[in-house]
Amino acid sequence: MQHRNHSTALIALFAALMAVLGLIPKIDLPLGVPITLQTLGVMLAGCLLGPRRAFQALIVFLVAVAIGLPLLSGGRGGFGVFTTPSAGYLLGWPVGAFVAGWIMQVLHASSPRRIALSAFVASMFGGLMVIHLGGVVGLMAIAGMSPTQALMGTAVFVPGDLIKCILTAVICHTVARGLPDWQFGKSSA
Amino acid sequence: MGSLYSEYHTWLHAVPAGWKLTFLVLLSTGIFWIQDPVWLGVACALTVVVYLSLGKARVQGHALLRSLLIATALVLAFHSVLHQPMVGVVSSLRMVAATLLSISLTLTTRSADLQQVLECMLAPLELLGVRTSNFALQLALMLRFIEHFFAVWKRLDESHRLRTGKGGGLRLLAPLTIQMLQTARRVADTLDVRLGK
Repeated sequence: MQHRNHSTALIALFAALMAVLGLIPKIDLPLGVPITLQTLGVMLAGCLLGPRRAFQALIVFLVAVAIGLPLLSGGRGGFGVFTTPSAGYLLGWPVGAFVAGWIMQVLHASSPRRIALSAFVASMFGGLMVIHLGGVVGLMAIAGMSPTQALMGTAVFVPGDLIKCILTAVICHTVARGLPDWQFGKSSA
Repeated sequence: MGSLYSEYHTWLHAVPAGWKLTFLVLLSTGIFWIQDPVWLGVACALTVVVYLSLGKARVQGHALLRSLLIATALVLAFHSVLHQPMVGVVSSLRMVAATLLSISLTLTTRSADLQQVLECMLAPLELLGVRTSNFALQLALMLRFIEHFFAVWKRLDESHRLRTGKGGGLRLLAPLTIQMLQTARRVADTLDVRLGK
């Protein structure tokens, strides 16, 4: 029960972090897809919470969006956001968080420097590749783009997401030094 | 934090949340299987009629509508540039129909009612170890944490300004994360006391 309550608190915390990061102003690019810091929240959830709790945190956040809370960047919310071209990215968030958490678990690291490196790799795969794959599927299904067009459309976000991967590594490094007992990627933190 | 639900009552407010959500899912799925622009145009026109019938309740949805119009314009322009306008038209009609229905659902359904329906729908995730029965508590905690995030961020920013004369910006993310993780531990201890270990 103790572990369950701890998980409940952490899941809610990272769902809240996603909402807070969405309040930082976005930049709109062609096809209506915004550049926001919310993908950073996905990466951090995966690296800090482990796969299952990170997945659940993103599910809780998306449920909050679906029931009408304006938690996405630009004050967007409601079911309508799941029928726009950016829907693929949204649905990729829980999967991306899970993958990032799983990779972090596998790359078990002890020193802050190695944790930072693991976080960077986990963010690259989970927070960048998986989410962009979801985004490509969404652009193909909803905006009617071909795979090549969708890949080119999503490629413009890659530099920004690479910066977020580095930020995730830096933050995890600081957390490793500030909270030495934190178990990255594990469900018993 | 307010939701997008409109207190101005319409005929759609009286329809149960489960029915509305089921209809939305079925219709949205059906729309994506239709290729003929004429039938898509008919479906789109019907959803516009439903949306317009909400009258003053639509006011809450103006921001959502603006995003939809921008996305639609961009999709049409994109496909026009690539000399495939009909692909743009079909994609746009689908998007407008599905999104207008979704906005109508959001404006006329209380968050708590939708949350109940979604908890039922997401119950199969329990098989994957996701505790959907805890959603209500997690959502409530999430909203409290959002407020707390801003309070802590403001405190850290003020400390940074006192030391350096400038705002902290993204530099504060790391210390903010540490403080919030510690807060989560304290909240978990409180839950242990209140809900029993």
